[in-house]
Amino acid sequence: MEIKGSVALITGGDDGIGEHVAKFFAKRGAKVAIVGMHQENIDRVVKEIKEMGGEVIGVQANVISEADTAKFIKATLEAFGKLNIAVTCAGIIHDGMMLTLDKETGKVSRKMGLDRWQPVIDVNLTGTFLTLRDAAEAMVNGGWEGLLVPISSVNKAGQVGQINYSSTKVADALMPKIIIGEFLMRGIRNIRCVGIAPGYTATSMLTGMNQDALKALLADVHLGRLLEPDEIANMIGHCVENSALNATTIEITGGLCYPHGIAK
Amino acid sequence: MKNFLYNDMEFSVAKTSSGWDINRTLPNGDFAVVGASLFKDLGEVDAGIRALALVRKVFPVGIKIVGPNVSHPNMVGDLKIIGPDVSHPNFIYWNKDSTSFAK
Repeated sequence: MEIKGSVALITGGDDGIGEHVAKFFAKRGAKVAIVGMHQENIDRVVKEIKEMGGEVIGVQANVISEADTAKFIKATLEAFGKLNIAVTCAGIIHDGMMLTLDKETGKVSRKMGLDRWQPVIDVNLTGTFLTLRDAAEAMVNGGWEGLLVPISSVNKAGQVGQINYSSTKVADALMPKIIIGEFLMRGIRNIRCVGIAPGYTATSMLTGMNQDALKALLADVHLGRLLEPDEIANMIGHCVENSALNATTIEITGGLCYPHGIAK
Repeated sequence: MKNFLYNDMEFSVAKTSSGWDINRTLPNGDFAVVGASLFKDLGEVDAGIRALALVRKVFPVGIKIVGPNVSHPNMVGDLKIIGPDVSHPNFIYWNKDSTSFAK
């Protein structure tokens, strides 16, 4: 599928990796619908893409809402008349241990509550499901060639302190196999699904963190630096153009290893 | 350039070299871009109609109910615990815009 002339929808497109993906597609001649939670961020990104000469709309929406999902799909179709690419960059973290022990007694003093668990499941898993489901519905009903791109994470391998986040990202990574298997059963041949699992990427979430902690993270990255969001966007662009990529999730990490160089 | 009011917000539709831009006037007088380079092949009248249709979809009018979903209680014995439930946000939109209602 060619990027130029296609219509791309990016949730979480108002910040972080999603913003770079939106700008990458706009630069390459795609029409872009940006979905985000924060109207001011959306206004900024839409303005910047307009100044680049891109075709763009921005929609404020919460990906965990079915009504909001229907809203941004309808708005995209109203503006551009079709939908070809859906990238689910919307995601959050609420890190914490499942159990915290009292140092003196050794007994459990605190448990991870649903207030920390549920929002991560809702945004990263349910939100991804709703966006992919409704985007696929539009593509099937419209008869358009399409690509669904759930954004997973290298922490799908399991990260201490992220039982909520890692659980959602391993589920997101599994979606392409299930979705394409279902499409094969249903005779849907014109829509592909490829997940992307980025490693540590230079978004505000990481560049703003404690620099010593960041240095420790990078010690296990063969590349020796954070990934640039544009490198993730480039990979997604490659997935659009290479129709052999399908029903899988691709890691892009710069060579992230466990300590002592064991491949993650 | 054509202006219109929708749900007490002011929008403008302006022709550019690459299509039509839709802008929303902000409370401080600045404007935000709702969409850029849209509806390339359309004339002013049709672009205005499409712009209004798009604005209605991007900014649907209605009420947003935030609260617990009583149909999904957490059961502790026979006690129903109904806490904030972000997985069922209960968005309900009216299907008419504000011009349908008395100010």
